[in-house]
Amino acid sequence: MPTSSRSSEGGTRRGAAAALLAPGLLALGVSFLVPLVWLARMSLNRTVGPAELQTAVSLRSYIDVLTDDFVWEVAWHTLWLGALVTVLAVVVSYPIALFLARTRSRLRGLLMALAIAPLLTSSVVRTFGWLILLSDDGIVNSALSGLGIIGEPLTLTNNVTGVVIALVEIMMPYAILAMIAGFGRVSKDLEDAAGSLGAGRLRCFVRITFPLSLPGVLTGALMVFVLTVSAFITPRLMGGGRVFVIATEIYDQATTTLDWPRASALSVLLLLLFGVFLVLYQRLFRMVEGR
Amino acid sequence: MRRMSTRALLPLLLVPAVALSACSTGNASDGADDGTTTVRLMAYATGGFKEKYVKAVIQPFEAAHPNIKVEYDPVVSSAEMLGRLRTQKSNPTIDVVIMDLSVAESANKEGIFTPLDPAAVPNMKDLSEHAKVRDNFGPGVTFDNLALVYNTEAVTTPPTSWNDLWDPAYKGKISISAPPQLDGIGLTVILSKILGGDYTTSIDPAIERLRKLAPSVQTWNPQPDTYTLVKSGQVNLALAWNARAQLQHDQSNGALDVVLPKEGSIMQVNTINLVKGSKRASDAQTFIDYALSPEAQALFAAEMFYAPTNTLAKVDDEVAQRTVMTPEKLKTMIAVDWNRLAEQRAQWTEIWRKDVISQ
Repeated sequence: MPTSSRSSEGGTRRGAAAALLAPGLLALGVSFLVPLVWLARMSLNRTVGPAELQTAVSLRSYIDVLTDDFVWEVAWHTLWLGALVTVLAVVVSYPIALFLARTRSRLRGLLMALAIAPLLTSSVVRTFGWLILLSDDGIVNSALSGLGIIGEPLTLTNNVTGVVIALVEIMMPYAILAMIAGFGRVSKDLEDAAGSLGAGRLRCFVRITFPLSLPGVLTGALMVFVLTVSAFITPRLMGGGRVFVIATEIYDQATTTLDWPRASALSVLLLLLFGVFLVLYQRLFRMVEGR
Repeated sequence: MRRMSTRALLPLLLVPAVALSACSTGNASDGADDGTTTVRLMAYATGGFKEKYVKAVIQPFEAAHPNIKVEYDPVVSSAEMLGRLRTQKSNPTIDVVIMDLSVAESANKEGIFTPLDPAAVPNMKDLSEHAKVRDNFGPGVTFDNLALVYNTEAVTTPPTSWNDLWDPAYKGKISISAPPQLDGIGLTVILSKILGGDYTTSIDPAIERLRKLAPSVQTWNPQPDTYTLVKSGQVNLALAWNARAQLQHDQSNGALDVVLPKEGSIMQVNTINLVKGSKRASDAQTFIDYALSPEAQALFAAEMFYAPTNTLAKVDDEVAQRTVMTPEKLKTMIAVDWNRLAEQRAQWTEIWRKDVISQ
C-alpha cells in the first residue's frame, strides 16, 4: 500500500500509535508468529518409519519434498488453478465493482451489501451449495437438458471444473471489495473530458478508465490468487479426490499420513511462495502507479 | 462503505471468542474432593461411536465402580488423536485412548503410550490372536471390516462380490475413499488376493484392475461421507466399514444395506491404550480391563456391530451375523500386517494417484 504523509507528525502521536498497536501486535504474535516458528521448527524434525516423529535438526523433509516429482506436479497444478480462477474472478467481478464504485443510486448500499453478503456464509456451506447446484440432477444440468442443449448430464462436480466454478464465485466478493477500494482514482470527470474531446465509449474505457483502474485490478487479482492458491475446502469438497493442490497435500500429510515434518516443510515452502508473489505484486503496483 | 465493511467483519471477530470459550470448557475439574477419580478416555467422535460406547461400556463400568468416573473426549480421527497426544506428551491430561492399530503403533514407538500390566488387565489373556499387540502395548478392543454398502432403492440385486464394482450398471454411481484412507489401501490388498497374488509381493495386478474401475467412480473422496451419499442415492455402491454401515442401516430404516463380499475382506482393529505418564494409571487399567471383559465386549457389539476381540464374549446370533465374528466369516478374512501397510501407505497413495485416479 502507498505510504501517506504520516511521517511529518509529532513523536507523541507516534508513541500513542505504538501503544494502540501493542495489543494487536501481541495478539498477532501469539496467534500467528508463535505457531509459525513452531511450524518452522517442526519442518526440521524427522519422520521415521510410517509416522514416528523424531526430534532432529535436519533438512531431510525439504530435500524429500523438493525432489519429489509429484509435489512439483501438484505445485504447478496449484499455480495453474490459481491463475485461472484469478483471471475468471477478476473478469466477472470487474463490471460489478466498477458499477458499484460509480453508481449514485439510492440502492448503492443495498447492492453493495448484496455483493459482499456471501462472505457472511462459510465457504464450506457455499461449496456444498455448488455441489447440489452442479450435480447430475442439479438445477444447472436439468435446466440445460430441459432446454434441449444437452442430452447426457455434464459432469460438473467431483472434478476440476466444479472446483473452478465454485472457487470463482467464492472469490468474487473479495475481488469486488479489493477493486472498489482501488478504483478511487477512476474519476468520472476524466471520462467526461475524454468524451468531450471526441473519444468514443470503447476508446474512453481502453485509454482512460481501464488504465486508471489497474491498481485496483492488481490488488483484487493478488487477493484472489493468494486465497485460491491456499484454498483447501473447495478443492477438497468439490474435487472428488481428483484435484490435488498444495493445501490438500499438506492436509493429507498432517492428518492422514501423519508426516508432520513433511507437512510443515510444504507449508513453509508455500509461505515462501506467497512472499515471492507479494514482492512481484509490489513491483507491478509501483510500475502501474508510477505511470 | 466503511460502515458496511465494519459490520461485515463483526462475525469474524466473534470467531476467536467462540473458539476460546470452547477451549476453556475442556478443563473440567478432577472431582477429587469426593474421593472419586476421573479417568479421561479419548476416542472417536463420529458415527455414533461416542453415544454407543458411553451407553454400552462406560455407564455399566461407572455403576460397578462408583469411585471412578470416565470422561469421554471425542476426537474425529485417530490421526487427530495422535496430534493432540503429541502436544501434551510431557504432561498428559488423557489417560486412555481408543484408536486405530497402525496409528497406535506410531504412538507406541514415540513413547506416548506405555505397556499394560498383565496383572492389572487379566482379560488380556482371553483376547483373540488378531487383537494381541507386541510387548503388552494396548491390545485390540474392537474388530471391524471393510464392506460394500448399496442403496436399497436403486439396487434390486444386492452385490455379492468385490467384482460387482465393475458391473456397468453402477457406472458413475460408485464412491471409494482413495488412499491414504484405509478404504483404498484395503481394497488394494483384497484385489491382490482375488487376483491370485499377495500385496506383500506386488500390487501391479490390482492397480491394473483398478484402472479399469476408475472411469466408473463418481468420487474418490465422498463428502460429507460415504453413508450420506449412499442413503441419498447420489451413489449406489460404495466401500465402507461394517460397524458404522450396520448402524446407518438401522438408523435409515434400511435405505442402505451392507454386504460382506464372498471373497472375504480385511479387518480393521481399534486398540485401547494407556497413556505414558498418566496420573491415574491404576484406575485407567481397571477401566481398560473392563472394556476388554466379555460383558462389555458383548454389549458394545450388540449396540454397534463391532466384533468383540475377547474370545469369551457371548453375542446373540443375530448380532454375530452382522459382524465378522462368526467362524465362517472370520475364515475369509485376509491377514494384514498393518505396520507393514503403514510403511507402504505413502508409496501406494502415489501409485493410486498416478495410475488409477488420473484415468
